Amino acid sequence: MEEAPFKCLRCGHEFKAPYDKKIPMERACPKCNSNSVPRMKAAPKRAEA
Amino acid sequence: MADNDLRVGVFVCECGSNIAGSVDCDAVTEYAATLPDVACAVKNKYTCSEPGQQEIKKHIKEHNLNRVVVASCTPRMHEPTFRQCVADAGLNPYLMEMANIREHCSWAHLSDRDGATTKAKDIVKVSVARARLLQPRIESELPVLKDVLVIGGGVAGIQTSLDLADAGYQVHLVEKEASIGGIMAALDKTYPTMDCSI
Amino acid sequence: MMDVGRHPRINLQTYSEIDDISGYIGNFHVTVRKKARYVDESECNACGECEKVCPVVAPDEFQEGFSSRKAIYMPFPQAVPSVYILNNDNCLGHNPIACGKCAEVCEKSCIDFDMEDQLVEVDVGAIIVATGMDVYDPTEMDEYGYTRYENVITSMEFERLISAGGPTEGHFMRPTDREVPKRIGFIQCVGSRTKNGRGNPYCSNICCMNTVKDSLLLMDHYPGTEIKVFYIDIRAFGKGFEDLYQRSKQAGVQYIRGVPGEVFEDPKTKNITLTVEDTSSGAIEDHEFDMVVLATGVIPRRDSEIVRKLLSLSRTEDGFFMESHPKLKPVDAPTGGVYFAGCVESPKDVKDSVTQASAAAARSEILLNAGEISVEAITSDLIVDNCTGCGICVRVCPFNAITGGDAKAKIPVEIVEAACKGCGTCAAECNFDAILMKHFEDAQIMAQVDSILDQDPMEKIVVFACNWCSYAGADLAGLSRMQYPSSQRVIRTMCSGRVDSSFILHAFEQGAPIVLVSGCHFADCHYIDANRWTVKRVEKLWDDLEKMGIRPERLQLEWISAAEGQKWTKTMKELEEMRQAVTEEEVEQTKKVLREARLKVEAKKKAKEPKEGAAEQAPAAATA
Repeated sequence: MEEAPFKCLRCGHEFKAPYDKKIPMERACPKCNSNSVPRMKAAPKRAEA
Repeated sequence: MADNDLRVGVFVCECGSNIAGSVDCDAVTEYAATLPDVACAVKNKYTCSEPGQQEIKKHIKEHNLNRVVVASCTPRMHEPTFRQCVADAGLNPYLMEMANIREHCSWAHLSDRDGATTKAKDIVKVSVARARLLQPRIESELPVLKDVLVIGGGVAGIQTSLDLADAGYQVHLVEKEASIGGIMAALDKTYPTMDCSI
Repeated sequence: MMDVGRHPRINLQTYSEIDDISGYIGNFHVTVRKKARYVDESECNACGECEKVCPVVAPDEFQEGFSSRKAIYMPFPQAVPSVYILNNDNCLGHNPIACGKCAEVCEKSCIDFDMEDQLVEVDVGAIIVATGMDVYDPTEMDEYGYTRYENVITSMEFERLISAGGPTEGHFMRPTDREVPKRIGFIQCVGSRTKNGRGNPYCSNICCMNTVKDSLLLMDHYPGTEIKVFYIDIRAFGKGFEDLYQRSKQAGVQYIRGVPGEVFEDPKTKNITLTVEDTSSGAIEDHEFDMVVLATGVIPRRDSEIVRKLLSLSRTEDGFFMESHPKLKPVDAPTGGVYFAGCVESPKDVKDSVTQASAAAARSEILLNAGEISVEAITSDLIVDNCTGCGICVRVCPFNAITGGDAKAKIPVEIVEAACKGCGTCAAECNFDAILMKHFEDAQIMAQVDSILDQDPMEKIVVFACNWCSYAGADLAGLSRMQYPSSQRVIRTMCSGRVDSSFILHAFEQGAPIVLVSGCHFADCHYIDANRWTVKRVEKLWDDLEKMGIRPERLQLEWISAAEGQKWTKTMKELEEMRQAVTEEEVEQTKKVLREARLKVEAKKKAKEPKEGAAEQAPAAATA
């Protein structure tokens, strides 16, 4: 399985983890164990505001 | 029923000192009385006890309550108790709401009486807000099959199978190995009686 | 055991596994895989002729490998059913050139090399889980030399060596020279009460008394044997236990408080020496033995994961299955209609296993005897007028309780109430407010959000918690008196799948600094996989929030099991820190952005509505 970059919304830690769009997986930050870990998109679109 | 017909009863439980130890239950009860549509707010030492439940039933009749909020422990523990209690007093059980001020409040903030009391008031307020919108519901009845499955044929599986079969139920005992007996069958003697295991 | 085999109301399925369980309390449908044993169970009369001619020799698992068996064998003499089994891995095969000897001698022609696994279906009202335990494997505790020294054995191996039905017919001897050992050491707590990551932190409950029993057996069979027991504490708490312990001491067994760090073998004599600090005297002493027995602990059954998943059960931190309540419902599983008996729930001796087994029988009889059960009125209801037939609910329902739906033909979906378990995922995913979750209605939950945030919203964290795991985890945190800040306000739903995006956005629009969505771990979801939709929804919201210039950090997601009171507490503390970092300006900005976005959507909808109404009328007119 390919790896993708993730970012923890609790402690800010960035890490790589296996990722497959079709297979939902439980993920946790390797540093703080939080499950608030969205995949980092290539170029995050910021609001115009 | 129109909204202005709502009459909510709030029952605040001290649970001995389990809640009252870190939550000012008098203050919570007084506060509850000021909430919209609350017809009565009552404090109990043990709401789940027989006298506590009688108190709820009495107030349902006296104030013609059509919503009940019990501020005590987790609904995972006593929701069935209080649903039955209000049903006994003629109220649809789904019109009862529990406010968890013990597991989620008094026990979690033992040394923060102010914080715990503020939180308990809030929990009661939120529960009253929800209770006002509760609807009566009818539970459907499903048949229960008489057969029973026992997974594992060690000493526990054997005993439970025999008990159930002797009581008249058809038992399906599924054992992974080629024989029942499990670990017990491999023991020579068992304590405390030092007798043979098989 | 014999009684089970001949009981008219027990359908005994040995060499069988559970393949699948569906249904719910009172109405489970179970698929049992009856594995091929290659011997016709109904015909075999255990004459044993097959075993005599079988040329294959394999280690006998029942005798802990101390003796051998054939490829076709009786598991042990008193086996129930008393039927032979052919181990296909050991067997040379049925090709007559290869072997096939057993089939030749079997007068009743019971042996069928082509036998296949059979699937047996049963419908039951209740399920008793009695999957038992495994014994701790001391290999990783290398300092005790279990894999290096033959004269170091486990307590299970001891049982076979002293048993009259064992490989030595009860003549206790040490493996290296078949001599009766004169000096035997017992090391307690092997794999139990450890703190170094190997073994388990809990007490295995049975090992102290088992060693006391073993010492008495030895003293009875071989008076004068020198026995020393090395222990941390001797826990002889049960009825008659203390008496047994005292008898063991009176018989001359020495109990030495202290557990050895390491053991060594004398390569010549094969004797075992261990060094230990006697913690009651402080003296460090060497002890030499002919044989050492490791009192190995009890662990959760290694293959219990299959049953755990099929029944949506959880484990406590020790790995054993979690009961409904540690004191008040120790026999009931959290899943309705499921009960525990024996070591599956915690390590137990025979008496406690039997006690819980009878309790499980009685508990299940309450359900079986009632004959019917009322189903909580928390299922979903279709609001037909709102349904466009888009079918998203059909796709997300974990129980296939919603069928039909055709958007083009404007045919609404249908909900099968009996199949609905009430997770609420359909209602959360529906874009047209066409599904009403009874007792967990949108309006009720929105009222809770409003009520939480109508005063001092900056002081509060809005937490959505699922009934089975995270809400229960919070209950456990309270029950265990774990302390955390008082800022969170919990809204309970049956499943995190119920948490509609609009609830979360509404909370932010009402001024919530932090919102947490919490549910069961993936493997624990009580609605098969409804919480997968929770993740999708939260992930989409993180993107949406970011696009709107709202920090996604303010929406948090956490999987907290019913056993994870500590994780709940840790999360609450961390979120409180995050809450304090949220500024009032930030919240005001969020409120403004979300209000504008909402008004935009509402305006769009309004502009669309008359058109849709006209479209709806058209086909109606056509049919009329």
